[in-house]
Amino acid sequence: MRRKRGKKNNGCFADKVRNCFGGNHCALRGAPASLKDCKGRVKVCKVNGDRKICARMASMGLYPGVEADIICAEKGSRCLLKVHGGTISLDPAISENILVTSL
Amino acid sequence: MQLKIALAGNPNAGKTTLFNQLTGARQHVGNYPGITVDHKEGCLLHKNKKITITDLPGTYSMTAYSAEELVARDYLVNEKPDVVIDIVDSSNLERNLYLTIQFLELGVPLVIALNMIDVAKDRGIEIKVEKLSQLLGVPVIPIIARSGFGEKDLLEAAIDTASTSNNGNTTLDISYGKDLDSALPELISLISENNFMTDTYPARYTAIKYLENDEQILKKGRQNNTEIASRLEEIVDKLADHTRKTLDVYPEAIIADQRYGYIKSIIRQGVETHRFDTDRLYTSDKIDKVLTNRLVGPIIMLLIIFGLYQFTFSWSELPITWLESFFGWLGGIVENTLPDGLLKSMIISGVIDGVGGILGFVPLIMFMFFGIAILEDSGYLARVAFMMDRVFRMFGLHGSSVMPFIVSGGIAGGCAVPGVMATRTLRSPKERMATLLTVPFMNCGAKVPVLALLIGAFFAESKALYMFLFTMLAWVVALLAAKLLRTTVLRGDPTPFVMELPPYRFPTIRGLLIHTWERTYQYIKKAGTVILGISILLWALMTFPGLDNEQKGFFKQQRQETISSFSQETVKELDLKSKPSSEEAIALAKKLNTIDNAETEAALRYSIAGRVGRSMESITRFAGFDWRTNIALIGGFAAKEVIVSTLGTAYSMGEVNTEEPESLGERLKNDSNWNRVVAVSALVFIMFYAPCFITVVCIAKESSWKWAFFSIGFNTFFAFLAAVAIYQIGMFFQLG
Repeated sequence: MRRKRGKKNNGCFADKVRNCFGGNHCALRGAPASLKDCKGRVKVCKVNGDRKICARMASMGLYPGVEADIICAEKGSRCLLKVHGGTISLDPAISENILVTSL
Repeated sequence: MQLKIALAGNPNAGKTTLFNQLTGARQHVGNYPGITVDHKEGCLLHKNKKITITDLPGTYSMTAYSAEELVARDYLVNEKPDVVIDIVDSSNLERNLYLTIQFLELGVPLVIALNMIDVAKDRGIEIKVEKLSQLLGVPVIPIIARSGFGEKDLLEAAIDTASTSNNGNTTLDISYGKDLDSALPELISLISENNFMTDTYPARYTAIKYLENDEQILKKGRQNNTEIASRLEEIVDKLADHTRKTLDVYPEAIIADQRYGYIKSIIRQGVETHRFDTDRLYTSDKIDKVLTNRLVGPIIMLLIIFGLYQFTFSWSELPITWLESFFGWLGGIVENTLPDGLLKSMIISGVIDGVGGILGFVPLIMFMFFGIAILEDSGYLARVAFMMDRVFRMFGLHGSSVMPFIVSGGIAGGCAVPGVMATRTLRSPKERMATLLTVPFMNCGAKVPVLALLIGAFFAESKALYMFLFTMLAWVVALLAAKLLRTTVLRGDPTPFVMELPPYRFPTIRGLLIHTWERTYQYIKKAGTVILGISILLWALMTFPGLDNEQKGFFKQQRQETISSFSQETVKELDLKSKPSSEEAIALAKKLNTIDNAETEAALRYSIAGRVGRSMESITRFAGFDWRTNIALIGGFAAKEVIVSTLGTAYSMGEVNTEEPESLGERLKNDSNWNRVVAVSALVFIMFYAPCFITVVCIAKESSWKWAFFSIGFNTFFAFLAAVAIYQIGMFFQLG
């Protein structure tokens, strides 16, 4: 069966290259998704993971309810997030634990 | 009375820039967070009042996350400065006020310096200073630390606050919501009734820190009074269970949320207005989309580093030649002016060829530092750290390890001492130790002259390319060593990495020149002091005890025999000290010169250093090092620059022909013991063997002497094995 145009295929090199230049908007608009799966402006719903890291991120301005811009998201890798005018970089383990909704 | 002012604030908010402006100090500043890892003091006199200013490491919160943040917190709590100047980044007000709120909760006498007000204005952010001051109840002064704008007003405000504050008794009480507010009175009364750490912290502050699960406060509490501490922990645990069940969050998340809520309530009272959309992406963000891109980013990074080397070598080539000629000319003057003897030998071999060898590379160092200053001040180095994080993780290191690597000489030209200190930003002790032990593998500023000397002598056709390759080699070896350590003696789970990236800024010419000059001056100063001293000491070790009478007599006899084999006229022609013209006289001069060289070399071999060098030759010959190189490598334990100065001294003492002075590079190139393979083997050994003495002391200070000795042994053993492998393989394939 022919694959639908635009359907995502992570095995395709062209898609992999495309993904390097930004992922998709959250798959389900309004439903919380992991930060690494989104792009554009998002609202943080929940920050999971280690207590110390959560507290650290809160002190850096990343906490539930805050609005942020994903500048550079790499599938399964690090992420640059603009929040409160500052840019913070997050590693895959952290970005996976941040649930956001697209705005 | 002396006034104590502390400068505190978020990382990269401009504390050190303000500190330098106020005190006239020249502490290192750059556009990336985490440069200051220890507190630094400076003094100034303002209206006949002596003021001590302390620059503290940046911190996001009073709950310290890493070692350098603990330095800031402990200083504020234990030293109790008369006033704290909180440097706030105006373009990032909301996040920066998070720390301000905690200062107010602690009750420290506070003045807010609203820094980078010009950047905020450019971004369309307008801040109503009076309103903010009125709502927070503390003076707020707009400043531009880079230019000195607002500096006087800030000092006046700080002095006023110090004189009117009643030792910080006024504290800010924020509501932390129903659950936490109901638990706080119980905690506070338990703390107050038992005087639990009340001499250091206000009772409410300690209660909040317990709710925030602050590790250091919990530890301190247990040491102070185990019973009260466990009762407090019991109350907090119960509350945390409750918040987890009802809200699915820990108390610290509620505290952060309430603090930001309080900050928002202040800001929304007309304190901050935006001319542009708040979700607008600035140029800096747009640049990041390209420069930190997964595919394009690393390629641009490698091109930038290669470009830096190309720029450094091409622009410094001519001034280096001038300096070499100058020192050659100076040596010639001394040779022709001073009578033969120890003083002349010391000045020529110990000072001019030793220190001159180092000073000859000043132009190269200067251009290299200039390039690094551009990368540092623009904010690009922080992006390098971001991009390298992925690679570092593969080798068991942390994203925060990247900056210590760069500071140590990741782009050739740093210093391992601040690199070792910069590991304080790492939270995990094992990741920190792995970083601390591998940063000396980077090509620090002291190794640059050695690299430049050997690359210039043996790979002159593409110097920048070889410099680039040796830089890459340093990274690869450091990462492999880190992997080895992390899978053996320093095994442990990785910790998450989160870092703030500063916005790109246009470096100012003044800033670049200051940074370049400061580092170049340090290099020149070190060459004129420590290296000069070591050069003279090594010259003495290479001179004494000298040849015995029997050996001297042997060379004297050889000279006489040579002279007697020529006619009287030829000898007279040579005595006139003008350049010999006849073939006979030239032949005699050459023969006498050969005898002189043989005598000097024999004296050098017979000297203390020569004997040590020769005793090691039986082992080091497997790596292609002769006894003279051995002396230089031993000298390198003191400081790596000494390798160049010692080679300069050793090869000048074996070469007495000063009519056509050769540079050290030419001498090495013409020496039968040196070739391309030996040069690579020596370079690899020098890059990776034991760190210099000061770095070893610093490693011991930051960890323990056990690890300091480990770094000496491990690095030297590894470097020697690598050098032997290179030499043996290279010679087998006749690559020399």
